Amino acid sequence: MESKAGMVGLGLRRDIAEEILDNKILTPDFLEFAPENWMGMGGAWLKVMERALEAYPITCHGLSLSLGSPEELDWEFIGELKEFLDTYKVAIYSEHLSYTKSKNAHLYDLLPIPFRQDAIDHVVDRIRRVQDRLERPLAIENVSYYTPVAAEMTEVEFVSEIVDRAGCNMLLDVNNVYVNAFNHNYDAKDFIGKLPLDKVAYIHMAGHEQVEPDLIIDTHGQPIIDPVYELFEWTIQKMDPVPVLLERDYNFEDLEQIQGELTQIKGILNKHWKLAHETA
Amino acid sequence: MKLRKETIEIQEQLGAYCRTGIEQELPGITPGRIHHYRRLISNVVNDTLRTAFPITVAALGDETWLLLVEDFFSAGVPQTPQVWKLPLEFYQFHASRESGKRLNLPFLDDLLYFEWMEIEIHTMPDRPYPDFVNEGDLLKDTLAFNPEYEIVKLEYPVHTHPVREARELKGEYFSLLYRMPESGNVQFLNLSALNVYIITRLQEEKVPLNEIKNEIARVAGIESGRYLDDALTKFSGDLLERKMILGFKEK
Repeated sequence: MESKAGMVGLGLRRDIAEEILDNKILTPDFLEFAPENWMGMGGAWLKVMERALEAYPITCHGLSLSLGSPEELDWEFIGELKEFLDTYKVAIYSEHLSYTKSKNAHLYDLLPIPFRQDAIDHVVDRIRRVQDRLERPLAIENVSYYTPVAAEMTEVEFVSEIVDRAGCNMLLDVNNVYVNAFNHNYDAKDFIGKLPLDKVAYIHMAGHEQVEPDLIIDTHGQPIIDPVYELFEWTIQKMDPVPVLLERDYNFEDLEQIQGELTQIKGILNKHWKLAHETA
Repeated sequence: MKLRKETIEIQEQLGAYCRTGIEQELPGITPGRIHHYRRLISNVVNDTLRTAFPITVAALGDETWLLLVEDFFSAGVPQTPQVWKLPLEFYQFHASRESGKRLNLPFLDDLLYFEWMEIEIHTMPDRPYPDFVNEGDLLKDTLAFNPEYEIVKLEYPVHTHPVREARELKGEYFSLLYRMPESGNVQFLNLSALNVYIITRLQEEKVPLNEIKNEIARVAGIESGRYLDDALTKFSGDLLERKMILGFKEK
């Protein structure tokens, strides 16, 4: 399977699918699919997906596993997911360290799991079971959150122990670290320094929106700001090359600007990771 | 279960707050921030449903529409992990609660169903196409139908009339929704009950129109003669032109 280390990708959103496939302005190295948005589809969207699969390497980023929920995992959905991942030979599949389902109702957004020991035990068990069923490792993403809920430990303790014990990989979302550090008043570099960076298999970068003097929302709709690029550059020097994805979910009016972000990320990677390869 | 009862309750309280807006006693939260979760989740649900049901939104107006969304969001239990399928559950929720009757919107079920079916036909998994040739006789040869279609039965003609008029025209209406072979775009065709009968029988028997002509005449209460031949030729020719019929099965 082709290594994507050092490649810079973009999420395949329907709004920009044609633009990406026609290769006019946007030229990512790979594409990321949210399986939930494409599974079980036929017709025009299946054709778009097949064109994308022919033209680009892909990764998948899940939305609905709800690893932190109290209720049982949705094994029927996980079975369909496995079929999708197997069919399209997806090596990197990531999901959020959060819950999206409550009292058996899907909520379609990411709620924060209480940072507690029993939640760690619960999530570790679920990640292991999902990995066994999917026959591939999960990469677990550190999510942005706007308030802790009933926390009994720090976020970095919570994330690190889960990644360590579950035997999974990590998707490091650098923007989320920045957002959380701002929102909860901690040091982003100190946080990243304590993470198991050797387990990071994938990185996400994104823009965000400051909605209150002391609150940033992780919107994926704005350009990446310089402090996030700086944190990214600092981080990648501490780890081996992995693929990096630019997350953009809306505001697609200025595609040149989005391509500029892809180029900027690539430039930072080449500055550090290429040199590391050459030295080695 | 490895989770403590207390942790489960806290997680469920947060979920309940997001769905209902009823404030909960959540420990260890930062004041003034929890409402962002409800706002973000509401945006996802509302945007998804608004995009799926543009005609319903326009017909009902914002106030009634938001009432329906709020009702669904707080009392519904969305089961699909795929948010684009949420509109189907929204339709089923309101049909089961008879919201249309309660709100004096008798056409509501039909309107939601019809708008959902457009999404369903557009996105449903591909169905295998039959082998066919382009040349043939509309009456003497077996017709090869486009397999990607559904016939929708409605009580109110929401597919042909503005709802203000449709609500006064309760009856029995049929619409054929199908996917165009190349573009995947969805097309609609208004059908009579006899049209539905003909399409259904041809699909069941897989024989030329000529072989069920007498049966059609009996159902229609007309003679099987030149007039019927002309009508069937016109009907099937129209379906061929519209790519609902792809061509003719090889003999």
